[in-house]
Amino acid sequence: MKKTFSKGGIHPVAEKTASAAIRLLPLPQKAMLPLRQHIGAPARATVKRGDHVVRGQMVAEGVSAISASVHTPVSGAVTSIENIMTPWGTPIEAIIVTSSEKEHEADSEIRRLEWEQTLGAKTDLSTAKNIASEEILFHAAKAGIVGLGGATFPAHAKLCVRPENKINTLIINGCECEPYLMCDDALMRNCAPRIIEGTALMIKATSASRAIIAIEDNKTDAIAAISAAIAEAGNASISLEVLQTKYPQGGEKQLIEACTGRRVGSGALPASIGVIVHNVATTFALRQAVTAGQPLIERVVTISGDIPVGERHNYLAAIGTPLSNVPFTIPADKDIHIIAGGPMMGRSAVNLDAPLTKGCCGLTILSGTRRRPTQPCVRCGECVEACPMGLEPYLLSAYGSRQLWREAAAASVTDCLECGACSYSCPSSRPLLDFIRIAKQRARTIKQD
Amino acid sequence: MLATALLLGLTGLAGAFVLYLTARRFHVEEDPRIDNIESLLPGANCGACGCRGCRDFAATCVQRNSLENLNCPGAREGTMKEIASIMGVETQPEAKRLVAVLRCAGSCKVRPIRYTYDGASNCAVMNAVGVGSRECSWGCLACGDCTSACRFGALKIDPGTGLPLVDTSMCTGCGLCVDECPRSLLELRPAGRRERRVWVACSSHDRGAVARRQCKAACIGCGKCAKECPFDAITLAGNLAYINPDKCKTCGKCVATCPTGAIHATFEIKQPS
Amino acid sequence: MSTSQVLHLSPSPHIHTRRTTSGAMRHVLAALLPAVGCALYYFGLPALLTLVISSAAAMLTEWAITLFLLKRPSTLGDCSALLTGILLALNLPASLPWWITAAGAVFAIAIAKMAFGGLGCNIFNPALTGRVFLLISFPAAMTAWPLPTPGFGDADGVTGATLLSQLKESATDIIPDATSLLSGNMGGSMGETCAAAIIIGFIYLIATGTVRWHIPAAIVAGMALIDLFAGFPLWIDLLSGGLLLGAVFMATDYVTSPMTRSGMLLYGLLIGIITASIRRWGIYPEGMSFAILIMNGATPLINRYMRPTRFSPRRKEATA
Repeated sequence: MKKTFSKGGIHPVAEKTASAAIRLLPLPQKAMLPLRQHIGAPARATVKRGDHVVRGQMVAEGVSAISASVHTPVSGAVTSIENIMTPWGTPIEAIIVTSSEKEHEADSEIRRLEWEQTLGAKTDLSTAKNIASEEILFHAAKAGIVGLGGATFPAHAKLCVRPENKINTLIINGCECEPYLMCDDALMRNCAPRIIEGTALMIKATSASRAIIAIEDNKTDAIAAISAAIAEAGNASISLEVLQTKYPQGGEKQLIEACTGRRVGSGALPASIGVIVHNVATTFALRQAVTAGQPLIERVVTISGDIPVGERHNYLAAIGTPLSNVPFTIPADKDIHIIAGGPMMGRSAVNLDAPLTKGCCGLTILSGTRRRPTQPCVRCGECVEACPMGLEPYLLSAYGSRQLWREAAAASVTDCLECGACSYSCPSSRPLLDFIRIAKQRARTIKQD
Repeated sequence: MLATALLLGLTGLAGAFVLYLTARRFHVEEDPRIDNIESLLPGANCGACGCRGCRDFAATCVQRNSLENLNCPGAREGTMKEIASIMGVETQPEAKRLVAVLRCAGSCKVRPIRYTYDGASNCAVMNAVGVGSRECSWGCLACGDCTSACRFGALKIDPGTGLPLVDTSMCTGCGLCVDECPRSLLELRPAGRRERRVWVACSSHDRGAVARRQCKAACIGCGKCAKECPFDAITLAGNLAYINPDKCKTCGKCVATCPTGAIHATFEIKQPS
Repeated sequence: MSTSQVLHLSPSPHIHTRRTTSGAMRHVLAALLPAVGCALYYFGLPALLTLVISSAAAMLTEWAITLFLLKRPSTLGDCSALLTGILLALNLPASLPWWITAAGAVFAIAIAKMAFGGLGCNIFNPALTGRVFLLISFPAAMTAWPLPTPGFGDADGVTGATLLSQLKESATDIIPDATSLLSGNMGGSMGETCAAAIIIGFIYLIATGTVRWHIPAAIVAGMALIDLFAGFPLWIDLLSGGLLLGAVFMATDYVTSPMTRSGMLLYGLLIGIITASIRRWGIYPEGMSFAILIMNGATPLINRYMRPTRFSPRRKEATA
């Protein structure tokens, strides 16, 4: 029996129908680079209007320990630093870089060559052997790497282990339990050797004794590619763990329990039990930064959903590319729903002029309304059964809608990981997570008082 | 029959005696003034006075034996005088009456509904999703979190504009709605002499062109009002004008200048002839 | 994007399960079909009449209350009123006068359900409350069990005692016949006699994921505990009276049963113990309805104290 986490979980439709090849999405003529694409303090712009920048140059630097630098994927002139709209329509400060025709061509050519190199090479762990762990952290910070699974926590801060926490296990998260999304799957299929190299670097940086690459059993090709790459690398400390397919397997605490059988305490970090989890895409980005010297200016995104099968693809896209540059046909249905990210945890997008950011795993286009009218709660217990954190969503949601923040805090609302399993499974279509999310925010501020 | 009646009667008597004993045993001597004061208060427990409710306010009055820094904004006029006479202390000067104003004029006409929102009908929830069902990420979400927060029935969603409307005759300036709005659109401002108030009915910090595109009634930060104001009451910060109520003499000149009509007043403005 | 299209935005998650509350009600109704069929087969026309009157009265009451008292859109679409009506009918003797049936259904919906706030807010199972209301108000009519006349025929008006009341009154010299217990060829309320039909319904409910096995299993376990102690054969208890009907269809009612698995087990266990205790040592020959109603009342308490174990271990307090 393959392992999985012990509590709750759901089985939504997988819909992983995008093609596995990674296509290059053309570089944008105009890149918009928000200063805050991560959790923590916004980066501070290091360029000003009129400056000339080249591809890969840092344009904003992280200001504190929990912050991340931003780099430009295109060469050109900084045309302005101004507020632009996020995909969900709220303002955010961004640096706008516009490149000329010539620069655009040159950048595209360089990018093509770099990608060919990335795809072609054999597994090579020599860099990881020869580099010092501090140097890896330095590279991670300099390259502006953040958690690419969606959490966008600065990677250098996570890799920098406090002396009191001894790390023994590093888990590389290749679960990708969100329906529709396939960007990690595609990356594992196409760039397995690079992921192994990145894993070796992470082992070095954290001095972990072993690394587990965890993949759900519905990704057979990725499993084959990763196990072949592990065999080729011949590093005994890296192993593959094939897990059952269940949402939210990719949740940090769930994944740790599935792989090691240990549970992280409420409000504690995985490092407290000697574990660190990183996404495969983050691992790949670290390898690119350390070995190829390429900062985080590109990522793989999935475009999927109710669009023609021939348009469901995985793209290597530059950070800062307007979402409207991604080719897809909007379905003819009356009701359209565009989601930045996957359908379980992604956010509704209304503004496709917004740029792709580091934390965006893709676009999911759904057609037809998905929410049915709410019926009364019949206390069937489906939400309690589905909650992977062992909470009582029906109760937390009722506290949230009645503004009983203290009661919600006492019922451990801050444990909630907002996976949405409760709202998904409610047969009465109640907006459980909507209110739990509010209660969680308020309970946090109460705790700080 | 008789035995039954007797038995029941005796049981009742015994119960009454136990109740009497308990009541005596646990009796707490309380100043009768607390009850008297509490009966004058609105009983909404809004917390605007800084106490934990109306009874606590009454108890605090009696405990301090002075009305210094104590005021019930929710009470009828003259209530504080009555309280002072109950306590036999000096009356404090009546505090400036505050009322809530909505700093958004993005009605369904100037800011039509663009997106279909499929979530819980709650401003805080909608705000967490992003812009909301209409453009402008600063403007009113119109789900009525403020109207349900008001304990005095002073806030209602106006079906004409789709925005909450403050009934100033009911508003006590307690500030519950101010805390409730996830976009901080409600502000407490002095009720003003003869109910004359002027305020900027917009909270958008977006650039003028953006704000204008999103909402026809937006403040575009042009600064005309600041130049026009004879009392230096208007400041401009982040593409948004703000009228300082302490300096404003409610002359209404800014209202007439504003190109988008973002400045609202509670009185008729004479158009410059 | 064309102008006629609308862009949706919603908080995550954006996809939802296909299962619905009314769908679950329909599954329960489908699971009741074998029992309803058996009732018609054994008790004929009076059974049909009781079923129709009970469900019609239940639906009419709910419709009238939502329309005239609450001024809300009708909630008949969720099928819960129909379900209450059918469950009530299956708990009644087929020969019951029609007006008593109707009174029970009206009571079940108006007092036990709508007075508490409608679907999801009631504390006690409406159908059972209706039945107990009738049992207390019309004890004679409610314990006159017509003898079955197999073959959709008309009942001949002969009534008799149920197996349980026979056991209660006389000594244990009656040897019940297992086949008639399973097939339902005996006196009793319309739905409870045929054990086989209820078991088929239970298998359907489990297969469709409508109810979990915990409550029925725990009821049987609780029953077994008392029977072991009292030295009574468990199989007779299981196959006679309203035990199966109650365990499968009444105790598993979402609204009035606990939400966690451990809570469900405790709830079921106590129902089994109370039922068996009433049957062995109480005055009533049957105890299922009372046991379920008692435990309905305890459900909020169970929900409060039998919480799911949190996934994350609590952090130790600094003082410890």
